[in-house]
Amino acid sequence: MANNKIDPKNVSAQLQYRARGNPPATQPVTAISNCFPGLEFDFRNIWRRIFVGLVLHEARPLVVDIEDPQLEGFRGQLLVSVEGEDIWTQVSGPQVSGGPVQNLSGSSLEWANALASIVERGGNEVRCGFYDRNSQQVTEVNLQVRRIFEQEGVPDGESAVLAASLAQPGELTQSLCSPWQNDYRECACYYWAASRPDFVNSEEENGVTQGQNWLHKDRGPDTPKTYSLRNADLVSYEDLFRDWEQLRFIIRGQDEDEPQD
Amino acid sequence: MSSQLRLPLGHLFPTAQGPHLLLSDGTRIYGLDDDAAAQLQEAWDSRDQQQAQELLRRFGLDAPAAYIDDQAPESMPVRALSLAVAQKCNLGCVYCYAQEGSFGGKAQNMPLETALASVDRLFEEAGPGDRVQLAFLGGEPLVNRPVLRQAADYAHRQARRKGIKLGLSLTTNGTLLTSQDGDFLERHGFSVTVSLDGLGESHDQSRPFKDGRGSFERILKRVRPLLAKQRRMQVSARVTVTPGRLDLPSTLEGLIEMGFHSVGFSPMLSSPTGRAEMRADDLKIMLDQMIACGRQFEERLRDGARYPFSNLTTALKEIHRGTHRPYPCGAGGGYFGVSAQGDLFACHRFVDDPSGAMGSLEEGLDRGRQAQWLQERHVHFQQPCSGCWARYLCGGGCHHEVIHRGRPACDYIRGWLHYCLQAYVRLLKDCPKFFAP
Repeated sequence: MANNKIDPKNVSAQLQYRARGNPPATQPVTAISNCFPGLEFDFRNIWRRIFVGLVLHEARPLVVDIEDPQLEGFRGQLLVSVEGEDIWTQVSGPQVSGGPVQNLSGSSLEWANALASIVERGGNEVRCGFYDRNSQQVTEVNLQVRRIFEQEGVPDGESAVLAASLAQPGELTQSLCSPWQNDYRECACYYWAASRPDFVNSEEENGVTQGQNWLHKDRGPDTPKTYSLRNADLVSYEDLFRDWEQLRFIIRGQDEDEPQD
Repeated sequence: MSSQLRLPLGHLFPTAQGPHLLLSDGTRIYGLDDDAAAQLQEAWDSRDQQQAQELLRRFGLDAPAAYIDDQAPESMPVRALSLAVAQKCNLGCVYCYAQEGSFGGKAQNMPLETALASVDRLFEEAGPGDRVQLAFLGGEPLVNRPVLRQAADYAHRQARRKGIKLGLSLTTNGTLLTSQDGDFLERHGFSVTVSLDGLGESHDQSRPFKDGRGSFERILKRVRPLLAKQRRMQVSARVTVTPGRLDLPSTLEGLIEMGFHSVGFSPMLSSPTGRAEMRADDLKIMLDQMIACGRQFEERLRDGARYPFSNLTTALKEIHRGTHRPYPCGAGGGYFGVSAQGDLFACHRFVDDPSGAMGSLEEGLDRGRQAQWLQERHVHFQQPCSGCWARYLCGGGCHHEVIHRGRPACDYIRGWLHYCLQAYVRLLKDCPKFFAP
């Protein structure tokens, strides 16, 4: 193999190595919330190239690019079914608590759930349905599923390394905010990053749970138990850039006691 | 020589897979593209530290902070003790650091109370889940078999009672081993090291009985049944290499064929009388032979065979992990030798040697001396170690040998590590499973 890059060989070199173009948080030692979905890479990006020949959006079932010219007709279409299972579905339910059931918007399942049944079928073809919004028609086609884990150059084909064909250089991090504080403030609801607290100091009373937003500034014993989304109540982006340490530790769902001087 | 000192930052080495770099800080190994290699080589050849650091920064290879700083730990908990249960021996090895077992003093056995008190001391700072190591050395420890067995049994009971993991080891000349010893050592899962300096004649010249008779045949008779019993127990051979008796590849092959769990070589660098010490020319021959052994290992590994050449297997695993340490071993840190009289020393070799005295079981570990030892022995304060690329893999060399003879083997150590680094790159490609956790 030609030497065209610097290649970290042993474990300590790999732990310290920061590939060209990767943000600082991609090293384990500097990682923020180092579990899925963490802030060192965006795991959702592995689904973009799960089918050979086309590229999907990392979060929506939209065909954003085509690699196989024969599939060009599917550009911009929605992936609506895989092996007969719906990926995209019409959602119905009450608009407000206790309200009447009505048709809500169409929605897609999150990729890791939607594609769980085919992740082990790497190398095989599955039947995919695409919806064209112009013609309002669904067209089915067989697409090959990519393997999740690398097999090339790996003894016995066993590896925990993501397959190189699943993501081009830079793709695993391209949907991350830089600096990381933006992602940290932007996303909540036990979602991003997974280890980031969200609903804290909660109490249950008469079947209703009340608590506070972890990003609520200056929480004290008298702060109302209301989950606030008002910007004025919350730590701002700038607060986080300058002084992220003000985020307090949460122990068993409650604010850690203030340190005693 | 290719393993020469150029810059303390690290070592550039060629391989069939292209140029590679070991960065000493963190023992990190990188394959280089040709352009990066050429630029680094220039900085290394001109010994331009500043330029080299600038290049490392540019290539993204700089570390945010030094992995090892100058600060020595002030104290460490005791995690390993070796008991000189018998400061006497039935062999008269020409180079023995223990001067035929007695360490230059009166031949004596360790009393049972001292052995049991040592075990208590070993467990004193350990809690449930911790791991401690109890070693029996001498002299020849089997001279004092009853104390060895009672101390091991006692340690076993204490470990079980306290939920502490215990490793037991024995270093023996093999001449006194009995079938009952084999059962006992197997039952406790001992790591047994037998000192053998070759096969037949070459062993007998180094390690005769006190009356001059050869000991090899006798040892073989006693060790073969032990080798056959290995299940939990592991029996390894340790070969001390002395000048003129240098046929390492065939020795390695022969001992592995006999069924030893592993076989390792060490050069005789410091003997109390100066006899049998290896000089620069001897070490050059030894290096060539060690590399020949390494080649033998590489071939066997590619064939899928187990070939337990411990110098190389240990080095490869440490290199893969990126082991970096400011000391060569745990001596005076978490490991101490206990003399027959119950005094504590930096390790088994320093028994009854004031330069390694560390207190006593009765009066306690001398924490002040320990702190001073850890500070002084830190590789950053050893010369010429602080300027050597191999400092965190070597750790500065055996304290006992360095204090008594200095550092005559640096070229040998660097030459060996240079080979190990190249072998690592080869085997990582050819036999990746060897490095699996």
